[in-house]
Amino acid sequence: MTAITTTVPAGITFTAPRPRRLATWATLARRRFMLSAHTPREVLAPLVTPLLFALVIAPALARMIPGGAGYSTFVIVGTVGLLIPLTCTFAGIGVIVDRTGGARRELLAAPIPRSLIVLGNMAVAIAVSLLQVAALIVAGWARGSHFHVAAAGIGWFLGAVLTFTVFMYAVAEILANRIPTQEEYVGLTPVVAILPWFLAGSLFPLTALPGWLAAVARILPTTHTLALLRYGVLGHGSTGLHDIWGIGSTTTAAALSLLVLAGWAALATAASIRVFKRSAVH
Amino acid sequence: MSARLRAAGNGARPAVEVRGLTKTYPGGIEAVRGVDFEVAPGEVFGLLGPNGAGKSTTIGMLTTTIKPSAGSARLAGFDVVRDPLAARSVSSVVFQEPVLDRALSGRRNLDLHARLWGIPPSAAARRIAELARSFGLSEVIGRPVDSLSGGQRRRLEIARALVSEPRVLFLDEPTVGLDTRIRYELLDLIGGLRGRTGMTTVLTTHYLDEAERLCDRIAVMHQGAIVALDRPAALLARLGTELVELRVEHDPAGALAAMRAHGLAAGDAFAVGSTLTIPARARPARDTIAALPGLGIHAEAVTTRQPTLDDVYLQLTGSRLAA
Repeated sequence: MTAITTTVPAGITFTAPRPRRLATWATLARRRFMLSAHTPREVLAPLVTPLLFALVIAPALARMIPGGAGYSTFVIVGTVGLLIPLTCTFAGIGVIVDRTGGARRELLAAPIPRSLIVLGNMAVAIAVSLLQVAALIVAGWARGSHFHVAAAGIGWFLGAVLTFTVFMYAVAEILANRIPTQEEYVGLTPVVAILPWFLAGSLFPLTALPGWLAAVARILPTTHTLALLRYGVLGHGSTGLHDIWGIGSTTTAAALSLLVLAGWAALATAASIRVFKRSAVH
Repeated sequence: MSARLRAAGNGARPAVEVRGLTKTYPGGIEAVRGVDFEVAPGEVFGLLGPNGAGKSTTIGMLTTTIKPSAGSARLAGFDVVRDPLAARSVSSVVFQEPVLDRALSGRRNLDLHARLWGIPPSAAARRIAELARSFGLSEVIGRPVDSLSGGQRRRLEIARALVSEPRVLFLDEPTVGLDTRIRYELLDLIGGLRGRTGMTTVLTTHYLDEAERLCDRIAVMHQGAIVALDRPAALLARLGTELVELRVEHDPAGALAAMRAHGLAAGDAFAVGSTLTIPARARPARDTIAALPGLGIHAEAVTTRQPTLDDVYLQLTGSRLAA
């Protein structure tokens, strides 16, 4: 047997490096981005759905309604409430791939806070969602939709997009860490991503729903998101916030809805980190 | 190096210190039952045992992916429970199953490891180039991992673990599932790691030749406990220099008892099924064989051979490593 060749000199010990949270988060987000978009197809594919809605589906639905040009814009903004859940849910598949055949264990063995693994993935879901929303709005504008553009309105719009994306990605992360197979996970997509969209006032106002269903819809994050988005880019003509809160001050109602969304986002993010850690360490 | 060196004046300490480490899963399943060992800096230490012996669970606790139920463990002085980030910063792992981002290139995988372990980019680029060269990966490191052979992926994973110049390297069954040629190439490669300054290696395996060839010391694990810990040569010496192996179809336990009663076998002789293994210490093997008819023992087959680590394991646990 070969003799031991080297030793650490006596009197020498090691100190741990300080965590570099921001750099680590950026590294993890960059990794997820490279995994999600390492071919042109993967970059372009997420744009197909928003372009289809903005250029074909919303104008086609509007044609069925007399004087429905405004309805096209209504549907285009409502489509954001579908795009974000779909993007985030599909991003969750990457979490399952990491676990079953990817580098998750390598990440768990790295000297980094494990919460950053979740937050790094979330950053890419936010970036892709923003790209899709931008493509949707630009294509809608090019197709003739009229948006009310003001700094405050853009602020409400972006606030809603960001908090809703954080919430939806956190939900996807929780499900991806709790559900064992991709097949089972994909089977849940309609329930998580599509069903709430129909109830949340995407294609028709809340007031068109039966009373009990409208009550359920009022607690859905998607409902608050759509109301805020429309308030942001359609102005005071939108009635979504009033339908939820029933108060006269739209700005107060918008602030309340953003607060609700922020609360959901914070709660879901904390839960997703906890679920990830519990699923990762036995 | 991710960990900064500083003079502390507290003397050299083991690279790995394990005290009473225990893992009990829900339902009361005891995967690891209070193991104790220390590994010196620069030492290559093996955890030997069959599947289910508790080796990978032990590695999981040392690499902070499994939470110990009791006991403690330190890597380069850092407690794996109280100071997990520091413990992880001084260690790297090569897992039993491939753990790579397969859509990314080999270089991206190594670079990612370097960034996560806080290696400055210029140093990382230099180390990756060196490792790719010394591991014969220079020509393929730019290719997606998906396009690499099993052996190339394994070498890539070992190279990745070395990018951060760990104080403690864990190799969990590094050659499982590889064909024989690649396995021997990999053993050469792992054997060559021992020259790296100060790096301690903890290796788990159920291959005896691997443990004997690579390890300075071996802990033999059985049902979650360490049943022997010594240098390979010392473990082999427990059974002397020669064994007599008999196949006795009729009443092997009675045959062993008779041999013990007449001084032909000592306490370290053992029977597994119809096979009796008798260390030949006090008398030559031929004398033992010659005495069998006198005891009324009819052996269907008789062989003599040198002991192996499998015999040591068999004697300690009553089951074969390859089982």
